[in-house]
Amino acid sequence: MSGAPGPAADPLPAADLLTVERVTCQFGGVTAVNEVSFAVGRGELFGLIGPNGAGKTTLFNLITGLTAPSGGHLRYRGEDITGLPPHRVAKRGIARTFQNVRLFGELSALDNVMIARHVRTHSGLVSGVLGLGPARREEHETRERATALLALVGLADRPEERARNFAYGDQRRLEIARALALEPELLLLDEPAAGMNAGEKRALSELIRSVRARLSLTILLIEHYVPLVMNLCDRIAVLNFGQLIALGPPALVQKHPAVVEAYLGDGA
Amino acid sequence: MNRTFLLQQVLNGLAIGSVYAIFALGYTLIFSVLRIINFTHGAIFTIGAYTTYALTGSQFGINGLLAGAALPFGLPFVLALLGGSLVAALSGVIVERVAFRPLRARGADPLLTLVSSLGVAVALVNITQYLFGAEPYSYPDPLQGLPSAINFGTAAAPVLVRTVQVVIFAVSMVMLVLLTYLMNATRTGKALRAVAEDMTTSSLLGIDTDRLVLLTFVISGFLGGVTGTLIGLSVGVAGPYFGIAFGLKGLAVIVLGGLGDIPGAVVGGLVIGLAEAFVPAQYIAYREAVPFALLFVVLLVRPQGLLGRAQVQKV
Amino acid sequence: MATFFATYDFLLVSMVLAAVLALTLYLPLMAGQLSVASPGFYALGGYIAAIMSTKIFPPGPGLYPVSLVLLEMVVAAVVSGVLGLAVGLPALRLRGIFLALATIAFVQILGVVALNLNVTGGAIGIFGIPQPFSSALQYMWLAVPLLVVSMLFVARLERTRTGRALVALREDELAAAAMGIDPTYHKVLAFTTSAVLAGAVGAVSAHFINTWNSRQGTFDTSVNLMAFVLVGGSRTFVGPVVGGLVLTALPEALRGIAGVAGLPEWLAAFLRDGRLIIFGVLIAIGTVFFPQGLITPGLLRRLVRRRVRPG
Repeated sequence: MSGAPGPAADPLPAADLLTVERVTCQFGGVTAVNEVSFAVGRGELFGLIGPNGAGKTTLFNLITGLTAPSGGHLRYRGEDITGLPPHRVAKRGIARTFQNVRLFGELSALDNVMIARHVRTHSGLVSGVLGLGPARREEHETRERATALLALVGLADRPEERARNFAYGDQRRLEIARALALEPELLLLDEPAAGMNAGEKRALSELIRSVRARLSLTILLIEHYVPLVMNLCDRIAVLNFGQLIALGPPALVQKHPAVVEAYLGDGA
Repeated sequence: MNRTFLLQQVLNGLAIGSVYAIFALGYTLIFSVLRIINFTHGAIFTIGAYTTYALTGSQFGINGLLAGAALPFGLPFVLALLGGSLVAALSGVIVERVAFRPLRARGADPLLTLVSSLGVAVALVNITQYLFGAEPYSYPDPLQGLPSAINFGTAAAPVLVRTVQVVIFAVSMVMLVLLTYLMNATRTGKALRAVAEDMTTSSLLGIDTDRLVLLTFVISGFLGGVTGTLIGLSVGVAGPYFGIAFGLKGLAVIVLGGLGDIPGAVVGGLVIGLAEAFVPAQYIAYREAVPFALLFVVLLVRPQGLLGRAQVQKV
Repeated sequence: MATFFATYDFLLVSMVLAAVLALTLYLPLMAGQLSVASPGFYALGGYIAAIMSTKIFPPGPGLYPVSLVLLEMVVAAVVSGVLGLAVGLPALRLRGIFLALATIAFVQILGVVALNLNVTGGAIGIFGIPQPFSSALQYMWLAVPLLVVSMLFVARLERTRTGRALVALREDELAAAAMGIDPTYHKVLAFTTSAVLAGAVGAVSAHFINTWNSRQGTFDTSVNLMAFVLVGGSRTFVGPVVGGLVLTALPEALRGIAGVAGLPEWLAAFLRDGRLIIFGVLIAIGTVFFPQGLITPGLLRRLVRRRVRPG
């Protein structure tokens, strides 16, 4: 494996992989995220729930550098990553999927995944174009790894198909394969089950579990479908109006009065 | 610096700047309502200038397909100006229907519309050249009764501005006031601003967006035609490609003032006019680069322009 | 056959050079950037060659050595690359329309500067640029390799890590960045490579056309390039090449038709001089009816499949 060292080699003693410290985000007059603090431990499957507009996706955008926080800090593996641009955050080992799937629609499924191998490969413009030995080997390896990832998410049968032609549920799985191509340590999934039927949701649940185990991932999951969250997650944070209103194991959070109130009538 | 000299340069700058301002008003109006840069504004400018020329009964020269052509009648200048500008407005509407509406219906990227408008502008200007050649023309002087220049200084230290330039400045101020009034104080203006905000919602709310887009292009085209004639009056019509040159310089004006900002168009025009006027004599040859250097710098440093608000991008 | 080449020698070389220039618009477009800056680098390259061959290298008897032309191409490419980097680094933080406007401004500024410097010959420009060949057709020895090399480069690029990064940026810059691709680095890379190529073409063209002045590499050139790419095809490198070849030949073909006896004068005049009218209209039609151009990746796939399948 090229690129960032895996968890086993890392001397970081603390269990926390990601620390969100009093992070705030304001646009115009709106405070989308208000002094949110929590830590995600290595290997955890951490859920993030809350009503629509609670600031969950904004929090993902803050963590991945798409938006800069107006206050607070974000630490990853002990390093302060506040304000880093998205490509640098990705290089450090944080990958994500998007709430509204953002695949490279015109490109094939395989290309989508191959593109995400960028930070774990090195060939530059000249060596690539000239087709020098190391570049060619790397190209071959990229293709193989991408194919393997497609197989992992169950999409190995149509590698050359254009991404936009896939069914919605399949697109979400493709996006996960793409994110995994980064060889992340921390994977952020933004509503991966949206638009899936019950069978697909079960399969997704299994996929998330198996991927986490096989690749030693830490996963941060935004999800509206509560049974999925309750079954999968080790701990859950609940946001409402940009604020953290509860944090803990699923059983406790489920009964938390503030959470019940926030979800009143929401089928919790 | 000598006070007389300073005043002279300032007035020169305002004079040329006010021409840029009227041009930019039409240019920026379309951006404010439709969020597109309509490069054909320069071609409309040319069409206005040439139509006015034809309507004054003047004859076209020796080049071009219609060499030697002249209308069998000649209108007094002001009527010719109005006629020419109305034809310009009509041309704008035709361009909108034919080139922009299909793109808008598809939700095309504004960049694609810009490219299309470049193509249309080049085609129109070259058609004009094909028909009428590229020679310079000048209008019969409508201000014959008036003195040719007005002195803003003293008899001993004269600061002269050509009367026609004073007229142009006055026209630009009147246009600015009228357009600002339209946008801010009338129902039509409010509807235009709604369409600028969100066309789909506006039409769902019962606003006749088609009619408003039409109105925008009529006003913009009219202003473009007026500018073409006024500039022709002031310095003569230097060939159809003058419209392209204005179209390019106009980009600098509207970006500097703030894309879509109506007072910004006037501010941008006057600033660029002043900047050009104050180029030191030994660099006079580089004067034409000044608007573009300003454009480049503004884009890097403050793309929303002088009067625009910084845009927040929603992820 | 010989007369064909003799009559059309100038046109054929122009077609090939235009095809290479079209690729200079295609390169930034691969990353989703509309940059019309290449005419500026083309002009710069031409001036460098013109100045080097008329003022720096001493005139000699006979033909100008081809090796010196190659040297000029290298110098033009390097200088254009450096300027491209200098201009690109700040400018490529701009998106969409703002970038397009900045590149328009860049070309205009260069034009005014070229018009006024003594070394560029002012408004008259530089003329009497020495010839490395005894006939126009022999310029193919320079033009064709240049085209082939650039086509190979871009074709290979589309299959490499860097090329994929550019295409990802074109598809969705935000998602590409989230997948680890540095947008500014790659956009500047595409821009600078485009500048290098445009400079080299300019250097050859200066010798080819024999004179060089501020009328080369202007806004009109930008319009031509946009027509080549928009009509030829903006999604595959074959598109701009075909667009450049065909649209450069088109006015000549029309001029030929204009010579046919019996045509009304207005039509003949239009066919002779209406190149920009036609290009302008093609651009307008292209944006509405075939925004990806005529040669699309889909078309190429179908053509290749037909050839590969036996029988």
